[in-house]
Amino acid sequence: MSDNNRTGVLLALPATAYVGLLVAAPLGVLVLYSFWTQTYIDIDRSFTWENYRTAFSDPLVRHLLIRSIWMAGLVTFVTVALAYPIAYFVAFRTRNKTFWLLLITIPFWISYLLRVFAWRVILGFNGLINSTLMSAGLIDEPLDFLLYNEFAVIMTLAHAWAPFAILPIYVSLQRIDRSLLEAASDLGAGRVECFLRVTLPLTIPGIIASSLIIFIPTVGDYVTPALVGGSDGKMVANLIQVYFGAANNWPLGATLSLMSMAAVGMVAVAFVVLLRSAGKAIR
Amino acid sequence: MTGRSMIELIGIEKRYHSFQALADLNLTLQEGEFFSLLGPSGCGKTTALRIIAGFLEPTAGIVRIAGQDMQGVPANRRPTNMVFQSYAIFPHLNVGDNVGFGLSRSGLSRRQRKARIEEALAMVALEGFEDRHADALSGGQRQRVALARALVMQPKVLLLDEPLSALDKKLRESMQFELRRLQQSVGINFVMVTHDQYEAMTMSDRIGVMFDGRLAQVDTPTQLYAFPANRKVAAFIGGMNFLPAQLVGEPAGRLEVMVAGLGGLDIARNQGVARHDRELVVGLRPEQLHISRDEPAGFDARAQGTVTDAAFYGETVHYHVEIAGVPEPVVVSVPNHFHTVDFKRGDRVWIAAQGASVIDLGARTDN
Ligand SMILES: Nc1ncnc2c1ncn2[C@@H]1O[C@H](COP(=O)(O)OP(=O)(O)OP(=O)(O)O)[C@@H](O)[C@H]1O
Ligand SMILES: [Mg+2]
Repeated sequence: MSDNNRTGVLLALPATAYVGLLVAAPLGVLVLYSFWTQTYIDIDRSFTWENYRTAFSDPLVRHLLIRSIWMAGLVTFVTVALAYPIAYFVAFRTRNKTFWLLLITIPFWISYLLRVFAWRVILGFNGLINSTLMSAGLIDEPLDFLLYNEFAVIMTLAHAWAPFAILPIYVSLQRIDRSLLEAASDLGAGRVECFLRVTLPLTIPGIIASSLIIFIPTVGDYVTPALVGGSDGKMVANLIQVYFGAANNWPLGATLSLMSMAAVGMVAVAFVVLLRSAGKAIR
Repeated sequence: MTGRSMIELIGIEKRYHSFQALADLNLTLQEGEFFSLLGPSGCGKTTALRIIAGFLEPTAGIVRIAGQDMQGVPANRRPTNMVFQSYAIFPHLNVGDNVGFGLSRSGLSRRQRKARIEEALAMVALEGFEDRHADALSGGQRQRVALARALVMQPKVLLLDEPLSALDKKLRESMQFELRRLQQSVGINFVMVTHDQYEAMTMSDRIGVMFDGRLAQVDTPTQLYAFPANRKVAAFIGGMNFLPAQLVGEPAGRLEVMVAGLGGLDIARNQGVARHDRELVVGLRPEQLHISRDEPAGFDARAQGTVTDAAFYGETVHYHVEIAGVPEPVVVSVPNHFHTVDFKRGDRVWIAAQGASVIDLGARTDN
């Protein structure tokens, strides 16, 4: 090993140890647990596929998993769709970009839990929206479809994730050489065509980054569905939480965690492949 | 050239905040003309081109293309195409898609488009590069793709911002020839920005020389070379010796001058200069001076001096000659006939000139 190589290994050591301790080790434990069995308060450590058999055959698990992915997909779509115009505006139409970026990160200044509770206050039965609409005389009784359903989950998460979606898209927009847009318009492309044929394809990496950043944690989110999702807003993480908590079945919980990880991984890869080829098709 | 005007710039002015990038630009280009803008870096050449292309609104003034006022007409609806100084190759497309970008609205069939793309790539010597990715090109190749992408559109006006700057000498010369041939055969207007005076001279019908946002002179290459309007233009185009002179008499269309070091001469009056005065500046091109060891006969003026420097340039040899009464050494360039440098530092030599080769540059206070 050359001196240079040895220095490299030494430099990488702290990070490797850190990741190993905090990611690889727990993950390994999770995998081990998924092959064990819970016997009341004890763990039977003999190898078994039983947990996987149970999880795959349980319609509730399948239902929650599909719904989690569907919800996460919706949240991702809504958030990115709302974030793109904002990022575009900041990148192309503003002078004081630092100020706007600071504004965009404001949701971060408030704790995640507080933000979720704030949405409860806004969307609730006697909440901000309902009382405003009532006092304005637009409705006679409070709307009850605002809170405790999928809509509330999507609203809350779209708001919480907004900066995560805006920033990568903003960066990819900011990186576009402005003369490329001039060249496109010089070659006869109008604003819409410039956008579709130059700006959008060049920001696909940003869209992919934003989408993954939002999609992956959303599938596993349990705070928001638990607080504003009601019964039909529940997601797979809520079930996992139940298994690790009240139901006291760690092995099954571990199995469910691994299954949702695998599902997320597959969906994410499929998504990246799809968007890449969409980018190629746009030309 | 049919004599109709294709591009008219009337009183164009461009300010960036307090900085005046263009001032009172007036220019009329005839249909089919090859026009070059020549000037030092930062003088406003790109700015002028971008105003014609429609990427910049002038602060004041009118742009007309083919008789039509271009105020409020966006770049995509102007009959112009531009080759960008930065190339602006679309990084997500391959060479063929880059070149074909503007053809999607042309109503051509797929096959016709493919043929046009191939033809354009052949013009810039990039046959078979269609599938090459934009990232996998050298600087010169990118520049040629940019050129092909504009050529393929067959516009009325082609705007070229230093289109050949990244090419090696040989390729550049063949592209110069190719562009000139193309321009003459299809008769489109070229407006080319360049740093390179030789490129401007060999290719253009007319040249505009710019300094600090102003057009100093617009003329044909030979006129520009023979009658530069002032010392700055003269210094920018070719080599030039500047000598102080005194006005002695003004016979019709001519000037009688006493040139420092050389004595009395009868020279042509330069109509392009701003003003004449008792104290003048005259210019002598290094290649139009004669140098010899013995006193030459048959010249209108001569002077004796000492060689202070000799430099071998390959095609030419340059001598710097110090002459009593002349503020700076006079540069003389002679063709290299036999790969010899005939004079060396310290040699006493004669230099001589004909009155016809001495250029009137106007009043000394203007220069
Ligand atoms: N957006 C801008 N804001 C302020 N000043 C600018 C801007 N764009 C150009 N300028 C200034 O205007 C002047 C002319 O610029 P321009 O790009 O036209 O020069 P140029 O003649 O093309 O130079 P070069 O030969 O180096 O390309 C320069 O001094 C430049 O600094
Ligand atoms: Mg320029």
